[in-house]
Amino acid sequence: MVQAEAFETDFWKHANLRKVWDDIVPGEPRQTIPYTLTRDAIELYCASVGEDHPIYFDEAYARTTRYGGLIAPPSIHILLMFACTPADDWMRSPGTVNAGQSWSYNIPARPGDVITLQARALDKFIKRERLFVVHDNVFFNQRDEVICSGRGWTIRPE
Amino acid sequence: MTTTFENLGEGDSIDGPKFEVSRESIRLFCDASLDYNPLHLDDEYMKGSFGKTHFGGVIMHGMNNFGLISRMITDWAYPAGAIHRRLETRWVKPVRPGDTIQPAGIVKSKQVTANSRWVLIDVMVRNQAGEKVATGEAMVEFPG
Repeated sequence: MVQAEAFETDFWKHANLRKVWDDIVPGEPRQTIPYTLTRDAIELYCASVGEDHPIYFDEAYARTTRYGGLIAPPSIHILLMFACTPADDWMRSPGTVNAGQSWSYNIPARPGDVITLQARALDKFIKRERLFVVHDNVFFNQRDEVICSGRGWTIRPE
Repeated sequence: MTTTFENLGEGDSIDGPKFEVSRESIRLFCDASLDYNPLHLDDEYMKGSFGKTHFGGVIMHGMNNFGLISRMITDWAYPAGAIHRRLETRWVKPVRPGDTIQPAGIVKSKQVTANSRWVLIDVMVRNQAGEKVATGEAMVEFPG
């Protein structure tokens, strides 16, 4: 599998390539890239929110649970959203404000999973002069099983 | 007492972890989530206005709240043999470096469906002043 290029942390760099509110077509799929979830990435995410349950770290313990092995926390989609989208994706436009999200969880993501995303803008609207876009996302593992699905409301900077 | 579907009742509370927000915690969340939006990093940018919003300084990722609520729900559900199935959140107030936030949950209702059992939980995150910074609902499955 082709490895994704090193992640660009300067969100200004591709700003001129990204769609503004006017360009975003609800229903049109977003371009996405497969991502291999590593144990290191899970552990870094866990550290950032203080997740310390052994089911994310201790393989021997995890094997005794209903999951039969290590899993990622359900909220790992926070990372997957950026890991599975390219640098010119409009979600990275500087000033994109997240107003809220809702997620449904089917099965856990696991270290070693090759994760794919199907995503689109679902809706866009104007409220109190603010430009909103609703995004709609489903993450799958390498067996095409749904990991989780979710929706988010963003306020666009322009 | 062990949490079971049977012994849970409306109004039962769930305590989440306290979390101290700093520039370092926000930077760590950038690295962990790959969300490097200047909202979370760039003081100069945040002095300005954009998208009809104005914050005046860097803010924590809204999804950091989401991650803390999710941690509270799973840490509560795992020992009960239950499964975190859904979380919906809205951000009410920005969270800034220096704030201390803490999620909490209150059992709202229980419901039995054709094949399983569900607990609905109102969730919120408060800051050190007791102000709500995020609110939402979670759904936890207690397989029969």
